[in-house]
Amino acid sequence: MRRMEPGEARNTLSQLRRGAVEYCVLALLRDGERYGFELVRKLSEVDGLVTSEGTIYPLLTRLRRDDLVTTFWQESESGPPRRYYRLTDNGREALAAFTADWIRFRDGVDALLTKGGAG
Amino acid sequence: MSTVQGHPLVDDYLRRLERAAAHLPRARRAELVAEIRRHVDEALLEASARDEVTVRNALERLGEPEEIAAAAGPPARDRGALELIAMILVAIPGIGWIAGAPLVAFSRAWAGREKALAVALCLLPVVLFAFGFVAVDGGGSSTPLPVDASPASPADELELGSDDGGIGPIEVVVVLLTLSAGPLAALYLGTRLRRPPAPGMSSA
Repeated sequence: MRRMEPGEARNTLSQLRRGAVEYCVLALLRDGERYGFELVRKLSEVDGLVTSEGTIYPLLTRLRRDDLVTTFWQESESGPPRRYYRLTDNGREALAAFTADWIRFRDGVDALLTKGGAG
Repeated sequence: MSTVQGHPLVDDYLRRLERAAAHLPRARRAELVAEIRRHVDEALLEASARDEVTVRNALERLGEPEEIAAAAGPPARDRGALELIAMILVAIPGIGWIAGAPLVAFSRAWAGREKALAVALCLLPVVLFAFGFVAVDGGGSSTPLPVDASPASPADELELGSDDGGIGPIEVVVVLLTLSAGPLAALYLGTRLRRPPAPGMSSA
């Protein structure tokens, strides 16, 4: 058995965050396509979710490789062409499954954390 | 195509990223660097400024290049069949090394100096072997083999060096070294295999 280190709570949180971010990307794409920069900025606006914006790009590559999103290029009026991301059917399914699991998980942990499981 | 090309801070940042991502396949590395470059473009476009403070802020928000490269992780193939086959081959002296070396060289699961060390491990007994025999053939009374520190008579060694077919302590040691070098090199390669990416990132 390993002793719990003082910094471990933060560590746990950063792992939870890492696991959740990819579904947050999928969630941002639920209602339509977005381009990379836009996705990254949207995620950054959520307090405590993304510490280094650059790490989102490898994640986007992985989501594409896992066929959860597809990409396409589109011209922009303000600058060079942008790469847009769109949810695939697989992505939509993965998002729905995670959302259901997450809500159960969150409610259970919330109940224990706030009430200590009493009642 | 890029509006920020030529900005020294951005160039420096992208070079660091390129270096940090050296373990990725070329295409993936190029893609990652291009994505980050586009991101900086967009950030500066959005800020409609490209003074030093704006650039620094944009780069700071991106995070350390090393962190981004680490998030990209090693390609899945890097802990795959290629490396297993390469390690098995390397463990077999002689023909195995010849077949295994290109696989090790081709793999991205190991850094250049790790590959070099593994090859050196395999070659060491061969070099000692050759060196030892040359020294004996050359009429020298001692060989560079450490076992020579034992007070074996020079006559014995001369006999071993010639093609009399006698099996002496030096040959036994050399053969043992030769046989164990491969497995040792394979073991070393096994311990140096790149670790999988951070947990939670790859599961989908």
